[in-house]
Amino acid sequence: MKTKLFKLSLLTLLVTLATGCVDDGDTGAVGPQGPAGVDGSDGADGQDGNDGANGTNGNTAVYTVQITNLTYSQPLSPAAIIMHEPGYYAFVEGQSASVELEQLAEGGDPSGIVSTASTQVQFLDGIATSGPIGPRSIGSESTLVVPDLDADNLRLSIATMLVDTNDAFTGLNAMDISNMEVGDSRAFMAPSWDSGTEANLETADTMPGPAAAAAGGGGTAAGFDAARDDLFDRVRLHAGAVTNANANDASKEGLSTSILTEADRWDNPTAKILVTRTR
Amino acid sequence: MKKTSIASALLAALALSSNVSAQTIDISITNLTHAQHFTPRLVIAHDSSIDAFEPGVEASSALAWLAEAGVIDDAQSIDSSGQNFEALLGPVDNDNTSNTWHRFDGLVAPSTTVSYPFDTMDKPYLSILAMLVPTNDAFVGLDSIAIPTEPGTYTYTLHAYDAGTELNDELNSTRTDIVAQGGAALGGYGVPGVAGVGASPVPLGTGGTGVAVTVGFDQDGNAIGANEVVDGTDGPVHIHRNVLGDTSLTDGASDLQSTEHRWLNPVARVTITIPAP
Repeated sequence: MKTKLFKLSLLTLLVTLATGCVDDGDTGAVGPQGPAGVDGSDGADGQDGNDGANGTNGNTAVYTVQITNLTYSQPLSPAAIIMHEPGYYAFVEGQSASVELEQLAEGGDPSGIVSTASTQVQFLDGIATSGPIGPRSIGSESTLVVPDLDADNLRLSIATMLVDTNDAFTGLNAMDISNMEVGDSRAFMAPSWDSGTEANLETADTMPGPAAAAAGGGGTAAGFDAARDDLFDRVRLHAGAVTNANANDASKEGLSTSILTEADRWDNPTAKILVTRTR
Repeated sequence: MKKTSIASALLAALALSSNVSAQTIDISITNLTHAQHFTPRLVIAHDSSIDAFEPGVEASSALAWLAEAGVIDDAQSIDSSGQNFEALLGPVDNDNTSNTWHRFDGLVAPSTTVSYPFDTMDKPYLSILAMLVPTNDAFVGLDSIAIPTEPGTYTYTLHAYDAGTELNDELNSTRTDIVAQGGAALGGYGVPGVAGVGASPVPLGTGGTGVAVTVGFDQDGNAIGANEVVDGTDGPVHIHRNVLGDTSLTDGASDLQSTEHRWLNPVARVTITIPAP
Protein backbone atom coordinates (compact mmCIF):
# COMPACT_ATOMS: atom_id res chain seq x y z
CA MET A 1 0.00 0.00 0.00
CA LYS A 2 2.74 2.43 0.99
CA THR A 3 4.72 1.54 -2.12
CA LYS A 4 1.78 2.26 -4.34
CA LEU A 5 1.14 5.71 -2.87
CA PHE A 6 4.77 6.67 -3.29
CA LYS A 7 4.76 5.71 -6.95
CA LEU A 8 1.61 7.70 -7.62
CA SER A 9 3.03 10.90 -6.19
CA LEU A 10 6.20 10.47 -8.24
CA LEU A 11 4.11 10.30 -11.38
CA THR A 12 2.29 13.47 -10.43
CA LEU A 13 5.61 15.27 -10.13
CA LEU A 14 6.70 14.12 -13.59
CA VAL A 15 3.48 15.35 -15.07
CA THR A 16 3.98 18.75 -13.47
CA LEU A 17 7.46 19.09 -14.98
CA ALA A 18 6.26 18.08 -18.47
CA THR A 19 3.60 20.74 -18.43
CA GLY A 20 5.97 23.53 -17.40
CA CYS A 21 5.35 27.04 -18.95
CA VAL A 22 7.01 28.72 -22.08
CA ASP A 23 7.11 32.54 -22.26
CA ASP A 24 8.28 35.13 -24.84
CA GLY A 25 5.63 37.86 -24.54
CA ASP A 26 2.29 37.69 -22.96
CA THR A 27 1.60 34.86 -20.90
CA GLY A 28 -0.47 32.47 -22.89
CA ALA A 29 -3.51 30.75 -21.71
CA VAL A 30 -2.96 27.90 -19.45
CA GLY A 31 -2.54 24.79 -21.52
CA PRO A 32 -4.84 21.88 -21.22
CA GLN A 33 -4.16 19.48 -18.43
CA GLY A 34 -1.91 16.66 -19.47
CA PRO A 35 -3.19 13.12 -19.51
CA ALA A 36 -3.21 11.31 -16.26
CA GLY A 37 -0.15 9.18 -15.61
CA VAL A 38 -0.38 5.41 -15.85
CA ASP A 39 -1.14 3.57 -12.66
CA GLY A 40 1.86 2.28 -10.72
CA SER A 41 2.46 -1.48 -10.58
CA ASP A 42 1.06 -3.46 -7.66
CA GLY A 43 3.13 -3.80 -4.47
CA ALA A 44 4.70 -7.11 -3.37
CA ASP A 45 2.42 -9.60 -1.67
CA GLY A 46 2.20 -9.35 2.15
CA GLN A 47 3.69 -12.08 4.40
CA ASP A 48 1.56 -14.96 5.58
CA GLY A 49 -0.28 -14.42 8.87
CA ASN A 50 0.71 -16.24 12.13
CA ASP A 51 -0.66 -19.70 12.80
CA GLY A 52 -3.86 -19.75 14.76
CA ALA A 53 -3.80 -20.79 18.47
CA ASN A 54 -4.33 -24.46 19.29
CA GLY A 55 -7.97 -25.31 19.60
CA THR A 56 -9.34 -26.50 22.95
CA ASN A 57 -9.94 -30.20 22.94
CA GLY A 58 -13.44 -31.03 24.02
CA ASN A 59 -13.39 -28.34 26.76
CA THR A 60 -11.86 -30.71 29.32
CA ALA A 61 -9.03 -30.25 31.78
CA VAL A 62 -6.83 -33.30 32.32
CA TYR A 63 -4.72 -33.97 35.41
CA THR A 64 -2.33 -36.69 36.51
CA VAL A 65 -2.02 -37.61 40.18
CA GLN A 66 1.04 -39.47 41.51
CA ILE A 67 1.48 -40.69 45.09
CA THR A 68 4.90 -41.30 46.67
CA ASN A 69 4.95 -43.52 49.76
CA LEU A 70 7.26 -41.72 52.20
CA THR A 71 7.18 -44.35 54.95
CA TYR A 72 9.91 -46.83 55.80
CA SER A 73 7.75 -49.96 55.92
CA GLN A 74 4.03 -49.20 55.56
CA PRO A 75 2.55 -50.26 52.20
CA LEU A 76 -0.20 -47.92 50.97
CA SER A 77 -3.41 -49.63 49.85
CA PRO A 78 -5.18 -48.95 46.54
CA ALA A 79 -6.24 -45.31 46.71
CA ALA A 80 -9.47 -43.40 46.22
CA ILE A 81 -8.68 -40.32 44.10
CA ILE A 82 -11.55 -37.89 43.57
CA MET A 83 -11.76 -34.51 41.86
CA HIS A 84 -14.78 -32.46 42.80
CA GLU A 85 -16.31 -29.05 43.27
CA PRO A 86 -16.26 -27.45 46.74
CA GLY A 87 -18.74 -28.91 49.23
CA TYR A 88 -17.93 -32.63 49.09
CA TYR A 89 -15.89 -34.20 51.90
CA ALA A 90 -14.74 -37.83 52.07
CA PHE A 91 -14.27 -37.28 55.80
CA VAL A 92 -14.47 -34.52 58.39
CA GLU A 93 -12.07 -34.33 61.33
CA GLY A 94 -13.94 -34.65 64.63
CA GLN A 95 -16.88 -36.44 63.07
CA SER A 96 -17.48 -40.17 62.78
CA ALA A 97 -16.25 -41.81 59.61
CA SER A 98 -18.59 -43.04 56.87
CA VAL A 99 -18.81 -46.81 56.40
CA GLU A 100 -16.99 -46.33 53.07
CA LEU A 101 -14.08 -44.58 54.80
CA GLU A 102 -14.06 -47.36 57.41
CA GLN A 103 -13.77 -49.94 54.59
CA LEU A 104 -10.77 -48.03 53.24
CA ALA A 105 -9.08 -47.33 56.58
CA GLU A 106 -9.56 -50.84 58.03
CA GLY A 107 -9.53 -52.99 54.91
CA GLY A 108 -7.73 -50.95 52.24
CA ASP A 109 -10.74 -50.99 49.87
CA PRO A 110 -11.21 -47.62 48.08
CA SER A 111 -14.16 -48.63 45.86
CA GLY A 112 -16.91 -47.61 48.30
CA ILE A 113 -15.57 -44.08 48.71
CA VAL A 114 -15.36 -43.55 44.95
CA SER A 115 -18.79 -45.02 44.15
CA THR A 116 -20.49 -43.06 46.92
CA ALA A 117 -18.71 -39.87 45.88
CA SER A 118 -19.88 -40.37 42.30
CA THR A 119 -23.49 -39.90 43.44
CA GLN A 120 -22.74 -36.45 44.84
CA VAL A 121 -23.55 -33.33 42.83
CA GLN A 122 -20.03 -31.99 43.36
CA PHE A 123 -18.40 -35.10 41.86
CA LEU A 124 -16.39 -34.58 38.67
CA ASP A 125 -14.15 -37.64 38.28
CA GLY A 126 -12.84 -40.42 40.50
CA ILE A 127 -10.56 -43.43 40.39
CA ALA A 128 -10.07 -46.41 42.68
CA THR A 129 -6.49 -47.37 41.84
CA SER A 130 -5.45 -51.01 41.63
CA GLY A 131 -2.60 -52.41 43.65
CA PRO A 132 -0.65 -51.04 46.61
CA ILE A 133 2.27 -48.61 46.61
CA GLY A 134 5.24 -50.15 48.41
CA PRO A 135 7.18 -48.36 51.13
CA ARG A 136 9.78 -45.82 49.98
CA SER A 137 8.54 -45.89 46.41
CA ILE A 138 6.84 -43.72 43.80
CA GLY A 139 3.45 -44.91 42.55
CA SER A 140 2.18 -44.83 38.97
CA GLU A 141 0.26 -41.87 37.57
CA SER A 142 -3.54 -41.80 37.56
CA THR A 143 -5.31 -39.60 35.00
CA LEU A 144 -8.48 -37.66 35.82
CA VAL A 145 -10.57 -35.60 33.43
CA VAL A 146 -12.87 -32.76 34.51
CA PRO A 147 -14.79 -30.06 32.60
CA ASP A 148 -12.52 -27.10 31.78
CA LEU A 149 -15.15 -24.82 33.38
CA ASP A 150 -14.38 -26.38 36.78
CA ALA A 151 -10.61 -25.81 36.63
CA ASP A 152 -10.95 -22.43 38.35
CA ASN A 153 -12.58 -23.90 41.47
CA LEU A 154 -11.40 -27.48 41.85
CA ARG A 155 -10.79 -29.75 44.83
CA LEU A 156 -8.80 -32.99 45.17
CA SER A 157 -9.58 -35.66 47.77
CA ILE A 158 -7.45 -38.77 48.26
CA ALA A 159 -7.55 -41.61 50.77
CA THR A 160 -5.21 -44.60 51.02
CA MET A 161 -4.65 -46.93 53.98
CA LEU A 162 -1.40 -47.51 55.84
CA VAL A 163 -1.83 -51.25 55.56
CA ASP A 164 0.18 -52.39 58.60
CA THR A 165 -2.14 -50.56 60.99
CA ASN A 166 -5.64 -51.01 62.34
CA ASP A 167 -7.24 -47.98 60.68
CA ALA A 168 -4.69 -45.37 59.68
CA PHE A 169 -4.94 -43.60 56.34
CA THR A 170 -3.25 -40.77 54.49
CA GLY A 171 -4.37 -38.54 51.64
CA LEU A 172 -5.83 -35.11 51.01
CA ASN A 173 -9.03 -33.62 52.37
CA ALA A 174 -10.64 -31.44 49.65
CA MET A 175 -7.32 -29.78 48.75
CA ASP A 176 -7.73 -26.64 46.64
CA ILE A 177 -6.10 -27.19 43.24
CA SER A 178 -7.88 -24.35 41.44
CA ASN A 179 -6.41 -22.34 38.59
CA MET A 180 -3.63 -24.67 37.50
CA GLU A 181 -2.39 -23.84 33.99
CA VAL A 182 -1.56 -26.60 31.53
CA GLY A 183 1.93 -27.79 32.47
CA ASP A 184 1.68 -26.67 36.11
CA SER A 185 2.57 -29.11 38.89
CA ARG A 186 1.76 -28.88 42.58
CA ALA A 187 3.15 -31.12 45.32
CA PHE A 188 1.45 -31.74 48.65
CA MET A 189 2.87 -33.47 51.73
CA ALA A 190 0.13 -35.46 53.49
CA PRO A 191 -0.29 -36.29 57.18
CA SER A 192 -1.92 -39.46 58.57
CA TRP A 193 -5.35 -39.78 60.10
CA ASP A 194 -6.91 -42.36 62.39
CA SER A 195 -10.43 -43.14 61.15
CA GLY A 196 -11.49 -43.74 64.77
CA THR A 197 -13.44 -46.84 63.75
CA GLU A 198 -11.25 -49.56 65.28
CA ALA A 199 -9.14 -49.88 68.43
CA ASN A 200 -5.41 -49.77 67.67
CA LEU A 201 -4.64 -53.22 69.04
CA GLU A 202 -1.84 -53.83 66.50
CA THR A 203 -2.59 -57.57 66.54
CA ALA A 204 -2.38 -60.08 63.67
CA ASP A 205 -6.12 -60.69 63.59
CA THR A 206 -7.09 -57.01 63.36
CA MET A 207 -4.74 -55.76 60.62
CA PRO A 208 -4.85 -56.82 56.93
CA GLY A 209 -1.24 -56.14 55.84
CA PRO A 210 1.95 -58.15 55.36
CA ALA A 211 3.18 -57.52 58.92
CA ALA A 212 0.07 -59.25 60.28
CA ALA A 213 0.35 -62.00 57.65
CA ALA A 214 3.93 -62.69 58.76
CA ALA A 215 2.59 -63.11 62.29
CA GLY A 216 -0.01 -65.64 61.20
CA GLY A 217 -2.93 -63.29 60.60
CA GLY A 218 -3.72 -60.57 58.10
CA GLY A 219 -5.85 -60.82 54.97
CA THR A 220 -9.42 -59.76 54.33
CA ALA A 221 -10.76 -61.34 57.55
CA ALA A 222 -8.48 -59.07 59.58
CA GLY A 223 -9.53 -55.97 57.63
CA PHE A 224 -12.95 -54.35 57.71
CA ASP A 225 -15.07 -55.01 60.80
CA ALA A 226 -18.32 -53.08 61.12
CA ALA A 227 -17.98 -52.85 64.92
CA ARG A 228 -16.74 -49.47 66.16
CA ASP A 229 -14.58 -50.12 69.20
CA ASP A 230 -12.13 -47.21 69.29
CA LEU A 231 -12.03 -44.88 72.29
CA PHE A 232 -13.78 -42.13 70.32
CA ASP A 233 -15.66 -42.72 67.07
CA ARG A 234 -14.17 -39.62 65.42
CA VAL A 235 -11.69 -39.04 62.60
CA ARG A 236 -8.52 -37.42 63.94
CA LEU A 237 -4.80 -37.17 63.22
CA HIS A 238 -3.04 -40.45 64.01
CA ALA A 239 -0.76 -40.64 67.05
CA GLY A 240 1.51 -43.22 65.41
CA ALA A 241 1.98 -46.94 65.91
CA VAL A 242 3.14 -47.89 69.41
CA THR A 243 4.76 -51.21 68.32
CA ASN A 244 6.40 -53.79 70.56
CA ALA A 245 9.76 -51.98 70.74
CA ASN A 246 10.82 -51.26 74.33
CA ALA A 247 7.92 -53.40 75.57
CA ASN A 248 9.90 -55.61 77.88
CA ASP A 249 12.71 -53.37 79.09
CA ALA A 250 12.53 -51.25 82.18
CA SER A 251 10.76 -48.41 80.35
CA LYS A 252 7.85 -50.65 79.23
CA GLU A 253 7.19 -47.92 76.69
CA GLY A 254 6.10 -50.44 74.06
CA LEU A 255 2.98 -52.58 73.58
CA SER A 256 3.98 -56.17 74.25
CA THR A 257 0.90 -57.57 72.46
CA SER A 258 1.66 -55.62 69.25
CA ILE A 259 2.99 -57.62 66.30
CA LEU A 260 4.46 -54.42 64.84
CA THR A 261 8.14 -53.61 65.37
CA GLU A 262 9.97 -50.32 65.60
CA ALA A 263 10.47 -50.55 61.82
CA ASP A 264 6.72 -50.12 61.32
CA ARG A 265 6.72 -46.68 62.93
CA TRP A 266 6.39 -43.54 60.82
CA ASP A 267 6.50 -39.79 61.13
CA ASN A 268 4.42 -37.39 59.08
CA PRO A 269 4.23 -36.71 56.21
CA THR A 270 3.53 -40.27 55.02
CA ALA A 271 2.68 -39.45 51.40
CA LYS A 272 3.75 -36.93 48.79
CA ILE A 273 1.10 -36.17 46.18
CA LEU A 274 2.11 -34.64 42.87
CA VAL A 275 -0.66 -33.16 40.72
CA THR A 276 0.12 -32.10 37.15
CA ARG A 277 -2.29 -30.53 34.69
CA THR A 278 -1.52 -32.00 31.28
CA ARG A 279 -4.33 -30.42 29.19
CA MET B 1 16.68 -13.74 20.77
CA LYS B 2 19.71 -11.76 19.70
CA LYS B 3 19.24 -9.29 22.51
CA THR B 4 19.33 -12.13 25.03
CA SER B 5 22.54 -13.62 23.74
CA ILE B 6 24.24 -10.23 23.73
CA ALA B 7 23.04 -9.63 27.25
CA SER B 8 24.26 -12.98 28.50
CA ALA B 9 27.60 -12.55 26.77
CA LEU B 10 27.93 -9.19 28.47
CA LEU B 11 27.00 -10.75 31.78
CA ALA B 12 29.59 -13.48 31.32
CA ALA B 13 32.25 -10.86 30.55
CA LEU B 14 31.33 -8.90 33.64
CA ALA B 15 31.37 -12.03 35.74
CA LEU B 16 34.92 -12.73 34.65
CA SER B 17 36.16 -9.28 35.53
CA SER B 18 34.38 -8.75 38.82
CA ASN B 19 32.15 -10.51 41.28
CA VAL B 20 28.75 -9.66 39.88
CA SER B 21 26.09 -10.33 42.45
CA ALA B 22 23.03 -11.52 40.59
CA GLN B 23 20.68 -11.85 43.53
CA THR B 24 21.70 -12.08 47.16
CA ILE B 25 18.94 -13.40 49.36
CA ASP B 26 18.85 -13.90 53.11
CA ILE B 27 18.33 -17.43 54.41
CA SER B 28 17.53 -18.12 58.05
CA ILE B 29 17.28 -21.62 59.51
CA THR B 30 15.69 -22.53 62.84
CA ASN B 31 16.31 -25.91 64.46
CA LEU B 32 12.94 -27.02 65.84
CA THR B 33 14.14 -30.28 67.45
CA HIS B 34 14.64 -30.98 71.12
CA ALA B 35 18.16 -32.44 71.12
CA GLN B 36 19.38 -32.87 67.54
CA HIS B 37 22.05 -30.60 66.06
CA PHE B 38 22.27 -29.69 62.37
CA THR B 39 25.69 -30.22 60.76
CA PRO B 40 27.09 -27.56 58.35
CA ARG B 41 24.41 -26.61 55.85
CA LEU B 42 24.74 -27.29 52.16
CA VAL B 43 22.84 -24.54 50.35
CA ILE B 44 22.43 -24.99 46.58
CA ALA B 45 20.82 -22.67 44.06
CA HIS B 46 20.30 -24.69 40.92
CA ASP B 47 18.37 -25.40 37.73
CA SER B 48 16.06 -28.36 37.12
CA SER B 49 18.97 -30.66 36.20
CA ILE B 50 20.09 -30.86 39.85
CA ASP B 51 18.14 -32.92 42.39
CA ALA B 52 20.11 -33.37 45.63
CA PHE B 53 17.56 -35.85 46.97
CA GLU B 54 14.18 -37.28 45.99
CA PRO B 55 11.89 -39.45 48.15
CA GLY B 56 11.49 -42.87 46.54
CA VAL B 57 14.85 -42.61 44.73
CA GLU B 58 18.16 -44.15 45.93
CA ALA B 59 20.60 -41.70 47.52
CA SER B 60 23.78 -40.66 45.70
CA SER B 61 27.16 -41.23 47.35
CA ALA B 62 27.23 -37.47 47.92
CA LEU B 63 23.99 -37.66 49.90
CA ALA B 64 25.34 -40.66 51.84
CA TRP B 65 28.41 -38.66 52.85
CA LEU B 66 26.23 -35.77 53.99
CA ALA B 67 23.64 -37.88 55.82
CA GLU B 68 26.04 -40.33 57.48
CA ALA B 69 28.96 -38.04 58.25
CA GLY B 70 27.85 -34.44 57.67
CA VAL B 71 30.47 -34.13 54.91
CA ILE B 72 29.91 -31.88 51.90
CA ASP B 73 33.37 -31.26 50.42
CA ASP B 74 37.05 -32.29 50.33
CA ALA B 75 38.01 -29.67 52.92
CA GLN B 76 35.90 -31.45 55.51
CA SER B 77 37.10 -34.94 54.62
CA ILE B 78 39.67 -35.81 51.96
CA ASP B 79 38.39 -39.37 52.11
CA SER B 80 35.16 -38.14 50.54
CA SER B 81 36.99 -36.67 47.53
CA GLY B 82 35.32 -37.60 44.25
CA GLN B 83 32.18 -38.84 46.00
CA ASN B 84 30.87 -35.78 47.81
CA PHE B 85 28.63 -32.88 46.81
CA GLU B 86 31.68 -30.85 45.76
CA ALA B 87 32.43 -33.57 43.18
CA LEU B 88 28.78 -33.67 42.11
CA LEU B 89 28.19 -29.92 41.85
CA GLY B 90 31.56 -28.32 41.05
CA PRO B 91 33.71 -25.73 42.86
CA VAL B 92 32.28 -23.89 45.85
CA ASP B 93 30.94 -20.31 45.47
CA ASN B 94 31.26 -20.56 41.72
CA ASP B 95 28.75 -20.29 38.91
CA ASN B 96 28.79 -23.95 37.87
CA THR B 97 26.19 -23.19 35.16
CA SER B 98 23.68 -25.68 36.56
CA ASN B 99 24.25 -24.59 40.15
CA THR B 100 26.08 -22.56 42.75
CA TRP B 101 26.54 -23.77 46.31
CA HIS B 102 27.99 -22.84 49.68
CA ARG B 103 28.77 -24.64 52.92
CA PHE B 104 27.61 -22.64 55.93
CA ASP B 105 29.88 -23.88 58.67
CA GLY B 106 29.26 -24.66 62.30
CA LEU B 107 26.45 -26.50 64.02
CA VAL B 108 22.90 -25.25 64.52
CA ALA B 109 21.95 -26.16 68.08
CA PRO B 110 18.39 -27.11 69.02
CA SER B 111 16.00 -24.15 69.41
CA THR B 112 18.42 -21.73 67.76
CA THR B 113 18.34 -19.76 64.52
CA VAL B 114 21.15 -18.76 62.19
CA SER B 115 20.93 -16.64 59.06
CA TYR B 116 23.16 -15.94 56.10
CA PRO B 117 23.27 -13.96 52.88
CA PHE B 118 23.48 -16.22 49.84
CA ASP B 119 24.13 -15.28 46.20
CA THR B 120 21.79 -17.40 44.07
CA MET B 121 23.48 -16.29 40.79
CA ASP B 122 19.99 -16.20 39.28
CA LYS B 123 19.41 -19.96 39.51
CA PRO B 124 15.68 -20.73 39.80
CA TYR B 125 15.60 -23.37 42.57
CA LEU B 126 16.91 -23.68 46.10
CA SER B 127 17.80 -26.79 48.11
CA ILE B 128 19.20 -27.00 51.64
CA LEU B 129 20.56 -30.12 53.38
CA ALA B 130 22.12 -30.85 56.76
CA MET B 131 22.59 -33.99 58.80
CA LEU B 132 20.83 -34.48 62.13
CA VAL B 133 23.32 -35.55 64.80
CA PRO B 134 23.38 -37.84 66.63
CA THR B 135 21.67 -40.18 64.13
CA ASN B 136 22.79 -42.85 61.68
CA ASP B 137 21.73 -41.14 58.45
CA ALA B 138 18.94 -38.66 59.11
CA PHE B 139 19.01 -35.32 57.30
CA VAL B 140 16.83 -32.25 57.11
CA GLY B 141 16.01 -31.21 53.57
CA LEU B 142 14.50 -28.34 51.60
CA ASP B 143 13.55 -30.01 48.32
CA SER B 144 14.06 -27.79 45.25
CA ILE B 145 11.68 -24.94 46.00
CA ALA B 146 11.20 -22.27 43.32
CA ILE B 147 13.04 -19.18 44.58
CA PRO B 148 10.44 -16.40 44.87
CA THR B 149 10.96 -13.44 42.56
CA GLU B 150 8.80 -10.88 44.33
CA PRO B 151 10.50 -9.05 47.22
CA GLY B 152 9.21 -10.32 50.55
CA THR B 153 9.65 -12.90 53.30
CA TYR B 154 8.77 -16.53 52.67
CA THR B 155 8.60 -19.31 55.27
CA TYR B 156 8.99 -23.06 54.73
CA THR B 157 8.85 -25.96 57.19
CA LEU B 158 11.26 -28.85 56.60
CA HIS B 159 11.04 -32.56 57.29
CA ALA B 160 13.61 -35.10 58.46
CA TYR B 161 14.44 -37.69 55.81
CA ASP B 162 16.25 -41.01 56.08
CA ALA B 163 18.93 -41.30 53.39
CA GLY B 164 18.47 -45.07 53.47
CA THR B 165 22.20 -45.68 53.14
CA GLU B 166 22.67 -47.10 56.64
CA LEU B 167 20.54 -49.13 59.04
CA ASN B 168 19.33 -47.15 62.05
CA ASP B 169 21.24 -49.19 64.61
CA GLU B 170 21.41 -46.27 67.13
CA LEU B 171 24.76 -47.53 68.42
CA ASN B 172 27.15 -45.07 70.06
CA SER B 173 30.10 -44.79 67.69
CA THR B 174 32.56 -44.04 70.50
CA ARG B 175 32.12 -47.61 71.68
CA THR B 176 34.96 -50.05 71.07
CA ASP B 177 33.23 -53.20 72.34
CA ILE B 178 31.36 -53.36 69.01
CA VAL B 179 32.93 -52.98 65.57
CA ALA B 180 31.66 -52.97 62.01
CA GLN B 181 31.52 -56.29 60.20
CA GLY B 182 35.16 -56.84 59.12
CA GLY B 183 36.60 -54.98 62.09
CA ALA B 184 36.40 -51.26 61.25
CA ALA B 185 35.54 -48.83 64.05
CA LEU B 186 32.00 -47.45 64.25
CA GLY B 187 31.47 -43.89 63.05
CA GLY B 188 30.59 -41.89 59.96
CA TYR B 189 30.45 -42.80 56.26
CA GLY B 190 30.32 -46.43 55.24
CA VAL B 191 30.36 -47.88 58.75
CA PRO B 192 27.59 -48.50 61.29
CA GLY B 193 26.98 -46.36 64.36
CA VAL B 194 25.59 -42.88 64.88
CA ALA B 195 27.81 -39.92 63.94
CA GLY B 196 28.10 -36.70 65.90
CA VAL B 197 28.04 -38.26 69.35
CA GLY B 198 30.03 -35.33 70.74
CA ALA B 199 27.39 -32.84 69.58
CA SER B 200 24.63 -34.33 71.71
CA PRO B 201 23.52 -32.08 74.57
CA VAL B 202 22.90 -35.20 76.66
CA PRO B 203 25.20 -38.21 77.04
CA LEU B 204 24.61 -41.29 74.89
CA GLY B 205 24.39 -44.74 76.40
CA THR B 206 26.97 -47.44 75.81
CA GLY B 207 25.20 -50.73 76.41
CA GLY B 208 22.59 -50.83 73.66
CA THR B 209 22.18 -54.07 71.74
CA GLY B 210 21.17 -52.30 68.53
CA VAL B 211 17.95 -51.13 66.86
CA ALA B 212 17.09 -52.52 63.39
CA VAL B 213 20.19 -54.77 63.66
CA THR B 214 21.31 -57.64 65.85
CA VAL B 215 24.94 -57.56 66.89
CA GLY B 216 26.62 -60.75 65.71
CA PHE B 217 24.22 -61.32 62.79
CA ASP B 218 23.79 -59.96 59.26
CA GLN B 219 20.47 -58.77 57.80
CA ASP B 220 19.55 -62.32 56.74
CA GLY B 221 20.15 -63.69 60.22
CA ASN B 222 23.48 -65.37 59.39
CA ALA B 223 26.12 -65.29 62.14
CA ILE B 224 29.04 -62.87 61.78
CA GLY B 225 31.70 -61.96 64.40
CA ALA B 226 30.16 -61.95 67.87
CA ASN B 227 31.03 -58.26 68.43
CA GLU B 228 30.39 -57.21 64.82
CA VAL B 229 27.46 -55.21 63.47
CA VAL B 230 26.41 -55.21 59.83
CA ASP B 231 26.48 -52.06 57.67
CA GLY B 232 23.20 -52.59 55.82
CA THR B 233 20.99 -50.21 53.86
CA ASP B 234 17.31 -49.28 54.13
CA GLY B 235 16.76 -47.06 51.11
CA PRO B 236 15.52 -45.41 48.96
CA VAL B 237 15.21 -41.96 50.54
CA HIS B 238 12.07 -41.65 52.68
CA ILE B 239 10.64 -39.74 55.62
CA HIS B 240 12.57 -40.78 58.73
CA ARG B 241 10.48 -42.87 61.12
CA ASN B 242 12.18 -41.05 64.04
CA VAL B 243 14.78 -42.53 66.33
CA LEU B 244 13.56 -45.06 68.88
CA GLY B 245 15.89 -44.54 71.84
CA ASP B 246 15.36 -45.97 75.27
CA THR B 247 15.59 -44.74 78.84
CA SER B 248 18.71 -46.68 79.84
CA LEU B 249 22.34 -45.59 79.43
CA THR B 250 23.63 -49.09 80.12
CA ASP B 251 21.30 -51.53 78.36
CA GLY B 252 18.17 -51.66 76.22
CA ALA B 253 18.27 -51.66 72.43
CA SER B 254 19.42 -48.09 71.76
CA ASP B 255 22.25 -45.83 72.89
CA LEU B 256 20.06 -42.81 72.14
CA GLN B 257 17.63 -41.49 74.72
CA SER B 258 13.93 -41.75 73.93
CA THR B 259 13.16 -38.79 76.18
CA GLU B 260 15.65 -36.44 74.48
CA HIS B 261 16.65 -37.46 70.98
CA ARG B 262 13.25 -38.03 69.37
CA TRP B 263 11.56 -35.49 67.14
CA LEU B 264 8.40 -35.08 65.10
CA ASN B 265 8.20 -33.24 61.80
CA PRO B 266 8.73 -30.49 61.00
CA VAL B 267 12.30 -30.33 62.28
CA ALA B 268 13.31 -26.98 60.79
CA ARG B 269 11.88 -23.68 59.68
CA VAL B 270 13.53 -21.79 56.84
CA THR B 271 12.76 -18.15 56.15
CA ILE B 272 13.91 -16.63 52.88
CA THR B 273 13.97 -12.88 52.41
CA ILE B 274 14.05 -11.54 48.88
CA PRO B 275 15.30 -7.93 49.04
CA ALA B 276 13.73 -5.08 47.13
CA PRO B 277 15.72 -4.45 43.91
